[in-house]
Amino acid sequence: MKTHFAATLLAIAVMCPALAEGQQAFQPPTGPTPRLPSGKVDFSGVWQKPYVPDMTKDGKEQKGLAELPFTPWGEAEWKKYDAAEGDYTGACLPFGMSRSVNTPEPMQLMQSDKYFTFLFEQNSWFVVVPIDGRPHRQGIATWFGDSVGHWDGDTLVIDTVNFNGKTRLDTIGHPHSDQLHLVQRFTRPDLGHITWEVTVEDPKTFTKPWKNARTFTLRPDWEMMEYSCEENNKSLWEGRIKVPKR
Amino acid sequence: MSTKVNMTRFSLMAAGLAVALAQPVSAHHSFAAEFDANKTVTLTGTVTKLEWMNPHIWVYLDVKDDKGNVQPWQCEGGPPNTLTRNGWSQNSLKVGEQVTIDGALAKDGSKTCNARVVKLPDGRSVFAGSAGGDYPPTPPKK
Repeated sequence: MKTHFAATLLAIAVMCPALAEGQQAFQPPTGPTPRLPSGKVDFSGVWQKPYVPDMTKDGKEQKGLAELPFTPWGEAEWKKYDAAEGDYTGACLPFGMSRSVNTPEPMQLMQSDKYFTFLFEQNSWFVVVPIDGRPHRQGIATWFGDSVGHWDGDTLVIDTVNFNGKTRLDTIGHPHSDQLHLVQRFTRPDLGHITWEVTVEDPKTFTKPWKNARTFTLRPDWEMMEYSCEENNKSLWEGRIKVPKR
Repeated sequence: MSTKVNMTRFSLMAAGLAVALAQPVSAHHSFAAEFDANKTVTLTGTVTKLEWMNPHIWVYLDVKDDKGNVQPWQCEGGPPNTLTRNGWSQNSLKVGEQVTIDGALAKDGSKTCNARVVKLPDGRSVFAGSAGGDYPPTPPKK
């Protein structure tokens, strides 16, 4: 029996190079929380994030919420959603803030006293967030919304509003409206980790705010790579993926 | 038999575990937007082309059907960035190699699949765990 088990493990190691090369067992560098010269916590680095295709599910480094508190409108939007009838991401349209953080591809964070910047590898998108105390900009609604940040002690709070309502919260398609309000809280308890929490508020879609909590891992061995979604998106060109009509 | 369509999960325990434990590799689009998880396929054929490009790699292969006629198939894999981080490259699979692909069929009925595992004749598996979107899909609870 032990022989069979060992053989199975060996087969897994051979067939899954990520395991064979110890990627699952990656240990980030250890050390104290890094800070900018100003004393603010520095979140800079390339970060491995858990892939969260469904925010109602728990996973490695991810705590979801099983039952979303839908309003009747939100429930109807969810029930009628069928990715086969149109998934905007299949057309390489902007994922939006929530779904970008949910991707398995890494993100690089860069920071000064004035700005905090998300560099998402997914489709090479970026989001620049002023963190110097200025208010939200007034203007047209966008795919990623408008983000500003402020400090709550050593926690950086990123507040995002003014979404265009054309995105989904996750790959499986949980809905939101243009009234979506995301609050992301970043803390860095040590050199190698970020503790992240998002609060999803959207009075048109949900009866009350709800949360996901995750851990991001520093990957100094990774560099960001180009991701051109349009380069060979043949599934769209050949008609197997539809663009949503909205 | 070169082409086998079945409605069951993998029979190979190790293969199934390898897929289950593999790194998630894509969120470009929802798996369900293009593929049917309930229509699995096993294809054995000769590689004719490999497209190592975003948003997903594509493997093209000639597969003999039950009557011995060669049919061209195409299978989607993961994004090249993630595959690169997992140790693969565009040289990991070469034109002319015999491969067996376990995957899921496209909903439109074309000779298109989403590759879960690409196996070489020597038993090695390249691009293991490659998949698009949220594979393995869990039917949404509605």
